[in-house]
Amino acid sequence: MSKSFVEPKAGNKKLRILAVILVIAAAGAAIAAFVINLLDKDSKLYETFVVDNRWQYLLSGLGNTLIITACAAVLGILIGFLVAMIRSTHDKTGKLKIGNFICRIYLTVIRGTPMVVQLLIMYFVIFATLNSKYKIFVAILAFGINSGAYVAEIVRSGIMSIDNGQFEAGASLGLSYPKVMLYIILPQAFKNVLPALANEVIVLLKETSVAGYIGMEDLTKGGDIIRANTYQAFMPLLAVAAIYLIMVVILTALVGKLERRLAKNDKR
Amino acid sequence: MTNAEHSKLKVHPELSDSMITVKDLHKCFGELHILKGISTTIDQGEKVVIIGPSGSGKSTFLRCLNLLERPTSGSIVLDGVDLLTLNEKGVNYMRQSMGMVFQHFNLFPHLTIRKNITLAPVKLGLMTEEEANAKADDLLEKVGLYDKCDAYPSQLSGGQKQRIAIARALAMNPEVMLFDEPTSALDPEMVGEVLNLMKQLASDGMTMIVVTHEMGFAKEVASRVMFMDDGQILEEAPPEEFFSNPKNERTKLFLSKVLI
Repeated sequence: MSKSFVEPKAGNKKLRILAVILVIAAAGAAIAAFVINLLDKDSKLYETFVVDNRWQYLLSGLGNTLIITACAAVLGILIGFLVAMIRSTHDKTGKLKIGNFICRIYLTVIRGTPMVVQLLIMYFVIFATLNSKYKIFVAILAFGINSGAYVAEIVRSGIMSIDNGQFEAGASLGLSYPKVMLYIILPQAFKNVLPALANEVIVLLKETSVAGYIGMEDLTKGGDIIRANTYQAFMPLLAVAAIYLIMVVILTALVGKLERRLAKNDKR
Repeated sequence: MTNAEHSKLKVHPELSDSMITVKDLHKCFGELHILKGISTTIDQGEKVVIIGPSGSGKSTFLRCLNLLERPTSGSIVLDGVDLLTLNEKGVNYMRQSMGMVFQHFNLFPHLTIRKNITLAPVKLGLMTEEEANAKADDLLEKVGLYDKCDAYPSQLSGGQKQRIAIARALAMNPEVMLFDEPTSALDPEMVGEVLNLMKQLASDGMTMIVVTHEMGFAKEVASRVMFMDDGQILEEAPPEEFFSNPKNERTKLFLSKVLI
């Protein structure tokens, strides 16, 4: 038998410990170098982030990004559920023809045009007369309406994935269609699509980086302002990327945890 | 056999006090003509067992009775009301008095056994939560699964699931119970427990309409056996007569091929 089929044993444990120690040491050294650099008044880092309190652009930008993401996610989920209900009711019963028609136009237009264009139209056409200090609401509305279209199709697929026998069992007990939907179908559908919905929120978080097109000072715009002020692109943009990455990694970890918990509930 | 010939064979005269009266029922799925003129009456307390080959329309007929399938033409009169004239509210109300048990149980997987039973009576405002729970506990005792009341459907065997499905339908105090091949999806050793429960139900006087392949059950429990093929009722008779002295050639052929 070839050796490669055998789990290697001797000595490897020590090697692994050594590798872990090395990685920790390297990370520690990097952080230490970062902090030392940050405090060194001649360094690029100091000039980029500390002079004129420029780090505040990133902080307030991050705040705006999170507000837009959270509010747009809520709005998107509300719109998405409504559209999904109308569409699947039409698919199942043939009713709500006009509602279904309107929803299909909404889905086609929103999914068929770029997010940035929708944002610009929302700000410069539809809300052209609005005071610019309310632009964050325009951003939330634009991102929420956009996200709603994707959520709608996720939720609809969840509803359609529920066995028709569940509808029939509910109906045979005398429950009306809305009651069957509310108490039997949606709880099951929601559980099935929860991971996909969470992923949609992650996508939305990154999408909000185009909010700068209407002058929103979000995280991306914050980094860009620092770049313009310091004539240094490397540091601020890398910092922005790192912050997005950290948030996405955290959200992804949460989604993973959620999925494992739902899977556990299934086995019961 | 033509429809005219068939109507002569009808066992029951058109009584106005019969529970369900079906007249010239047709159902088409697009080009497919599934039911070709079904006429029969079902009286209070009767146990009608419908048998026949696959694709003969027996399940479709059963599903037409509570309008899970909408008939193309004909009439179904339940307690003096023509079901095909009802609006959506009326249909939902009518379904409360017709319990249905499915081949694949269709329990609600996200709810506990007790909640499966209490959901409809509570959400329809027929019982309070406490009344429904008491009723559910009674029914669970009756089907012998009280100890499973807080379990979820995925933790039960097929036979247990079907007994819960029967309990769920009974919680609505139906006038009539429809069974759509209730044992066809079960392991052989679990068929008995479900059939026993159905026999118990029959002896309690429940009106039952059962689509099944269990000839033993038909012989023992049915007050009338109905043989369907190609969307028509070819023969209906009490079980003794039906099994010992079938009149229709197609019935004879069918019975010669199934194990009794």
